[in-house]
Amino acid sequence: MTRFLLRRGAQAIVVLLLVSVIVFCLLHLLPGGPARAILGVHATPTNVAAFNRANGLDSPVPVQYWHWLTGVLSGNLGFSYVQNESVAALLGQRLPKTAFLAGVSVVLAVLIAVPVGFYQAVRRQRVGDYVITTVTLVLYSTPAFWVAIILIDVLAVRLHVVPAEAPQGSFSAVLGDPSALVLPVLTITLVTVAAFSRYTRSSVLDELAQDYVRMARSKGAGNRVILFGHVLRNAAGPVVTLLGLSLPFIVSGTLITEYVFNYPGIGLLAFNAATTQDYPVMLGVVIVVAAATVVGSLLADLTHAVLDPRVRTAAGIR
Amino acid sequence: MSLENVTVLGAEETAGADTAQSAGRLALAAFTRNRLAAAGLVVIVALLLFSFAGPLLYHTDQIHTRLALETMPPGTGRPLGTDSVGYDELGRLMAGGQTTLEVAFGAAVVAVILGVLWGAVAGYVGGFVDGLMMRIVDALLAIPAILLLLFLATVFRPSVPMLIIVVGVTAWLVPARLIRAEALSLRGREYVLAAKTMGVRGPTIIFRHIITNSIGTIMVNATFQIADAILVVAALSFLGLGIAPPATNWGAMLSDGLNYTYSGYWWLTYPPGIAIVLTVLAFNVVGDGLRDAFGLDSGHG
Amino acid sequence: MTAAAKPAGAGPVLRVAGLDVDIRLPRSVVHAVQGVSLEASRGETVGIVGESGCGKSTLGLALAGLLPPEAAARGSIKLGDRELVGLRERQLRPVRGTEVGIVFQDPMTSLNPTKRIGAQVGEALRLQRGASKAAALEAAADMLDRVGLPRPREQLGRFPHELSGGMRQRAVIAAALICEPAVLVADEPTTALDVTTQAQILELFDRLSDELGMATLLITHDMGVVAGHADRVFVMYAGREAESGKTETIFGSPRHRYTGALLGSVLRMETPRRSRLGTIPGRPPDLTALAAGCPFAPRCTAASDECAAAPPAATADGDHHWSCLHPLGSEEPGLVPEAHDEFR
Repeated sequence: MTRFLLRRGAQAIVVLLLVSVIVFCLLHLLPGGPARAILGVHATPTNVAAFNRANGLDSPVPVQYWHWLTGVLSGNLGFSYVQNESVAALLGQRLPKTAFLAGVSVVLAVLIAVPVGFYQAVRRQRVGDYVITTVTLVLYSTPAFWVAIILIDVLAVRLHVVPAEAPQGSFSAVLGDPSALVLPVLTITLVTVAAFSRYTRSSVLDELAQDYVRMARSKGAGNRVILFGHVLRNAAGPVVTLLGLSLPFIVSGTLITEYVFNYPGIGLLAFNAATTQDYPVMLGVVIVVAAATVVGSLLADLTHAVLDPRVRTAAGIR
Repeated sequence: MSLENVTVLGAEETAGADTAQSAGRLALAAFTRNRLAAAGLVVIVALLLFSFAGPLLYHTDQIHTRLALETMPPGTGRPLGTDSVGYDELGRLMAGGQTTLEVAFGAAVVAVILGVLWGAVAGYVGGFVDGLMMRIVDALLAIPAILLLLFLATVFRPSVPMLIIVVGVTAWLVPARLIRAEALSLRGREYVLAAKTMGVRGPTIIFRHIITNSIGTIMVNATFQIADAILVVAALSFLGLGIAPPATNWGAMLSDGLNYTYSGYWWLTYPPGIAIVLTVLAFNVVGDGLRDAFGLDSGHG
Repeated sequence: MTAAAKPAGAGPVLRVAGLDVDIRLPRSVVHAVQGVSLEASRGETVGIVGESGCGKSTLGLALAGLLPPEAAARGSIKLGDRELVGLRERQLRPVRGTEVGIVFQDPMTSLNPTKRIGAQVGEALRLQRGASKAAALEAAADMLDRVGLPRPREQLGRFPHELSGGMRQRAVIAAALICEPAVLVADEPTTALDVTTQAQILELFDRLSDELGMATLLITHDMGVVAGHADRVFVMYAGREAESGKTETIFGSPRHRYTGALLGSVLRMETPRRSRLGTIPGRPPDLTALAAGCPFAPRCTAASDECAAAPPAATADGDHHWSCLHPLGSEEPGLVPEAHDEFR
């Protein structure tokens, strides 16, 4: 188990380094160079030259990379001239809100999808399964923004159950207005559940078809013993790994949700940065989200290894 | 509750026709046995015909706006009404369909080609090269595609070829992983080892053995790619990063229409919205059917 | 756990009479087993042989009370005094593992990869006899020892993928026998193993059959397995009994044409070099569409019109039964020489 941990940990570090290289390249591939990108279109050549000198952009590239990387690791993610604040500060304000939104939604999604998937697998091809499969397939095929707007239309506008816009302000202000959180959370949860319940269903079906289930039955095991004593653990492993792999998907769902509901998280921040060509902020978000994804993926794999001992010994997983 | 619902019979005990081995025949079996998949295929063909052959039968002007005719509900001569700048909505649906399907197919092709090549080489070569190639894939996967798309869309002016490349470039990672797994398992097979012993060169082995034997996985993934690409383009259009008018796609039509939700102009949202859902649903269902027919693992990517 | 060998004989512990098993598929019905009758006594090993698709696996599942819900069984399967046919799932559960155990072909997939060996071997005791975890583990260690697993206590904590194929199959056998059932069904137990391990496992079955005094049903397509380890043989074709009797009789003087053909297709030491391996032309029949008459007729070299007209009645000679209108040893020369000394 420790060897597995070390191996996966080392892989994660390599991936993070590669992410940093990619982000660095993006920063420097911008038209006009990073100086022009950061200072904006109206920068004069003098400004650009001064900026370059001040920021060490006239040094060789590997040196620049090193400076940049050490800066990032010590918390300096650059400065946004558009918003006149350090990127780190902006992220610091908004990251907790997104983490909360995404975290709650994902937990809810898993809590719903896993039992639903189990139910579908056990009631395979009966009415309940067909109904749920149809609903999740349709949900899965609907653009997330449409889901969001339908929810707003039905729950906020027509039924006046919850407000249409997300809570604004600081993190504590956001937490203090739970009814406004309902729709954003519901959107992300619905979209995620659609994907997960299908997968859970297949995973459970795969396990139920395995010989060891037959073997357990031949020893007198009943349904409950088989489901909870055997299948649950085995089917959970792939679902956990899927969770790790789905983080990018969840991120994009969250971004769109933040946009629709005007939720002050890093998704909306990134979008606004994109439209105002505020590259430092955009790239700052990329780094943070990428790092979170790598770590999340690592945690998911570790959980899978705890659940399934074969994973611990498999050479070259993924 | 009945767990015994799951049939655990050996293949031998269920007598029947031989299962043909070739991929083409397996794929066909997906549609002859699975009515849902067949229905999906019918829907896809119908929408293709609608979008590409439709304008030949139903002529509308999709270039010039006619503001005098804006947002008129369905009536005589305009089965689906007109949109906010006077375009005929039904004609717009066809034109939008063309773009949507073109970009989706194009992006899927780009994604699959890139992904298959990358994954096959990584899986076949193995070792350090495989490790590095897959870490690169992991790194690119960790970077949220939507942010990358936002970034690319602000740098490059959106056009159909641009969208195809941009979407394809963010989507190739999943097939790369899948094909690499296939390559890993295939390279130990006897016929690959035999080919190597006979002196067949790497690239040939990759193409003739590894890729051809992964064709099932490739086809299934390509189908899902098309479905995903449609949703991605819709999301991009919604965020305002789509193609400039007069070109349009269903996602853009839906987003535009949603601006008028409270005006009650349902013909601006439901036609493109339903078109999107139907198409994505159809491709997903076809993909599922193909996956069942090929007997593949049920991991969606 | 008693170590004394149980007395063999005293009447058959398994009695099957007129068993039919139909399997309902979405668009057809597979008549997997038709009119099968057989018996097995304690300490006896009955080999059930036939090609893939002949229904032997379904028969095995039926005997173990593991038929899927789409299967419908008619006739009688008696384990001791208990009738299995017609029992519902809830009633079958207490029978499984305690009165009849089953071992499947692939030991790797028969074991749950995420559970330790000890827990899986002792599972039946906990489920059926309410044993505590500790007691079950004790019994598991004992049983693992009896099946010949080295260092049994160490193996208790291992996972299946840490064991070799042969060790896994032994563990599976231990799991199936921990409640000391009277009958053991072994469905192709050695097919997934290498030849040396095969021999060891088969010897293990012999030993356990004596020690535990159980009736063993050895289901296989391999005549060699049957020859060396079965007391009696039951040849199946297309869901029906073709021939049955003592092993020496079946191998020494086979009567059904199918049996003869099977024996003729086995490679033996004295098969002349450069001679063609006997094969049976054609394919097994489609079990969804039953033909009238003898199911083997289309592939039989000695078939006549009467063969295809009606199913041949069973002929008996002591406990040697066969259903063939033109049995070997009658006027025409058989497909295979009569004496098979090397099989005795």
